[in-house]
Amino acid sequence: MSRRAPAPSQADLDALSREFALLCDEQGVLIWHDERAPRLVNATLGVSLHSLAVPGTEPKIEFMLQALRRGDEARFEISLRDGGRPVTVAMRGSRTERGLLFVGSLVAQEFGDALSQLESTMTELSEMHRQSEKQRFELARLHGELGDSSRALLTMHGELDDKLDSLRRADEIRTRLVANVSHEFRTPLNSILGLSRLLLDRVDGELSVEQERQLRFIRQSAESLAEMVNDLLDLSKAEAGKHRLNPRTFRIEDLLGALRGMMQPLLTNQETRFVVEEPPTPVSLDTDESKVAQVLRNLVTNALKFTENGEVRVTAMEEGDMVVFRVIDTGIGIAPENLEHIFDEFSQIDSEVQRRVKGTGLGLALSRRFAQILGGTLTAESTLGKGSTFTLRIPRVHEEVAAMETIASASQQIDPSRAPVLVVEDDRQTMFLYERYLTGSGFQVIPARTIEDARRCIDRVRPAAIVLDVMLDGESTWTFLAQLKDAPATRDIPVMVVTVVDRLQKARALGADEFWLKPVDRERLVRKLGELARRGGSVPKILIIDDDSVARYLIRRLLSETPYHVIEAANGAEGVRLARLEQPSLIMLDFFLGDATAFDVLDDLKVDPRTRGIPVIIQTSKELADVERERLAVDTSAILSKQNLSRELAIARIREALLNAGVKVEAGHGHT
Amino acid sequence: MQLYVERFLTAQLKGARRDALAVIEDALASGMSVPEVHCSIIRAAQYEVGALWQKNAISIAEEHVATAVASLALSWLYPKLPRVPDNGKRVLMACVEGEMHELGARLASDFLEMAGFEVRYVGANVPTDSLVSLVASERPDLLALSVTMPFHERSLRDAIQAVRSAVPDVPIVVGGHAFRDTPQVAASLGLEHVGVDPDALVTAAKRAVGMST
Repeated sequence: MSRRAPAPSQADLDALSREFALLCDEQGVLIWHDERAPRLVNATLGVSLHSLAVPGTEPKIEFMLQALRRGDEARFEISLRDGGRPVTVAMRGSRTERGLLFVGSLVAQEFGDALSQLESTMTELSEMHRQSEKQRFELARLHGELGDSSRALLTMHGELDDKLDSLRRADEIRTRLVANVSHEFRTPLNSILGLSRLLLDRVDGELSVEQERQLRFIRQSAESLAEMVNDLLDLSKAEAGKHRLNPRTFRIEDLLGALRGMMQPLLTNQETRFVVEEPPTPVSLDTDESKVAQVLRNLVTNALKFTENGEVRVTAMEEGDMVVFRVIDTGIGIAPENLEHIFDEFSQIDSEVQRRVKGTGLGLALSRRFAQILGGTLTAESTLGKGSTFTLRIPRVHEEVAAMETIASASQQIDPSRAPVLVVEDDRQTMFLYERYLTGSGFQVIPARTIEDARRCIDRVRPAAIVLDVMLDGESTWTFLAQLKDAPATRDIPVMVVTVVDRLQKARALGADEFWLKPVDRERLVRKLGELARRGGSVPKILIIDDDSVARYLIRRLLSETPYHVIEAANGAEGVRLARLEQPSLIMLDFFLGDATAFDVLDDLKVDPRTRGIPVIIQTSKELADVERERLAVDTSAILSKQNLSRELAIARIREALLNAGVKVEAGHGHT
Repeated sequence: MQLYVERFLTAQLKGARRDALAVIEDALASGMSVPEVHCSIIRAAQYEVGALWQKNAISIAEEHVATAVASLALSWLYPKLPRVPDNGKRVLMACVEGEMHELGARLASDFLEMAGFEVRYVGANVPTDSLVSLVASERPDLLALSVTMPFHERSLRDAIQAVRSAVPDVPIVVGGHAFRDTPQVAASLGLEHVGVDPDALVTAAKRAVGMST
């Protein structure tokens, strides 16, 4: 027989209950309540049901009471107050003789509470929905705008493409022009100069006084022409932005001294004094010396030209970070309306003195361009009839130099989070490129401009990789490389060998020994041969490879009194054939061979063991156009060329090299 | 009009969401504007729901269901709100602590958005502490508080006081059913009370943020 447990206490039951009971009079005033009512709905005797209700819901209470008074049974939900919050109570009530009896249940409220959870979720969902709708709306609007923008862009693209095309074509034309001018003009010029030199040297017989004078005029004319061609090319290069800055540290005193020396021959006019004032204290500059010199020479030459009597004075002084050069003359001056045009290309002021004086009209335009490249300005002031002052104002330290110092000093601090890469490179532009491209990829660039610097660096820090410009220092660079690979401590450091696309230096890389400018100086040639003859044994032969018959003739004539046997070849193929056949002691190779370049010849010569060891002197006119550059691309594909240095390429190669050497970029490798 | 309200109400009470939305769509198709749908159908139906409860004709459960449907209808209408260009002013809309009825606040938010305000809708029963930190961090141009039951007057006072001492420079506007007929409460708080009229709310909001009305 199962036994029922004893009943729980009423108090326990009450504590759990969600119900209560009330008794009210006809007006709804409480006359009785059970134990639970106070706890659940704050019931106290003597208060009306209305006062227990949530304000505003009293009508429903009254409605309920009315129903009960009528005798209906009431089942009502009402809102009562539970402390601070409203609770929904399901009331069941009936009329008894004692009064209106109610039983209320808060279950409804529990239900409501549960629903509230849902409701807050719904609120959040609504808000999210609003947000996403707003975004959709925005997107649609943007989409519309994008459509318009895209169309506009496409049109612009088309226009830009056209512009680019015409610019490229213009640039090509200019480049070809420059190249042609160079070769076409210089070849005959060199012939004139060479032949006139030959005659003046009386190699083929005596000259009369008149003949000598005539020859000198011929030389002068040729020299003028050559100067004009050079200026033209310089200007062209400057405008195409192809001038390189070659900064070095030099003293103003030295520069001015050289200027004095160079101008001496021009001081034919006794009436004009030429004064060079040095700055009160020694000043050293760190910028492109040759360009500064060129500008000063141009300014002084002009000043001397236009000053019949009086003085041309050159002053130099420091002004803060700048150095100011002034060329002051007491010449004919420049009229105000002409002053703004003097820096234009080919502008020549029409005046008597002017007409007597030669000039290409390019000098000032070029000088101003150089002033810009130097990071400064060139200005002029003048009073007609009194004189002019030209002012060249440049930074004492070219900003590229300054930037280089920054890189260098940054590298003094080794950053342990970056892999140090030693970059041996003397061209600042290129160094910038490395710095920019590599620093962003987690490498620290340690610059070294000379092999000396590079060695010092290796003593201090073990780089994770080395980028080496083999053209830096000729022999010593190769030696350095060899030593690196020899020493066990540095053998494993990956070394990337880089070279310039500059064809002269490339030729050197391929084994050419020297470069000479045309026209070849006789004494120098003879001296050179003397050296070589000491090395060799049999009859010394010289092979000349040049497509210009006059040039070949000149060399031949120069060597006519000497024991050297001259062999000629008019093109590369013939030259190589003859080289192999005749085994000359020396090859003189013209750079521009018509439709082949010196490289082709060099390649062939170096490849063949019979000709590999023959010293090669490359002859060239001073500057050649960049047309060869494209051709060189073929030759330099195996080597990272600076010109084609792209960030991705550089980094990819270095990374490859580093990975191959087992070096990780993130780690702090590179500490000694 | 009345037909729409009845149809909507019927659907609401049954929890028939699709039917309810169909009524909205029919109304719009017949040429009724969105604001009209807001007030003449959804809000009107909701008042009916309240009245029905007062009359003990429906239970609290049915009231919740109906409210949910109304809420859905408002969401449905949201993408269709006709808008004027953004006026650059942000409003934070909240029901005071304890206030569970949020439909009025939702409606008010929609009207404010139609007038070019950007509304951050926080919802029902926002605890006063949370309200204060929200206002302090979001720095809206206007705080709008919704009170539906006069019961929550205390809550409103607490909220106003707390917000004013923490972020005194944010203007406040109060709306909702609670003091529709007793504007003096709002006045005693130094606030403008806009009752349940959406246009009055928009006007008050513009004034409060310093825009021309």
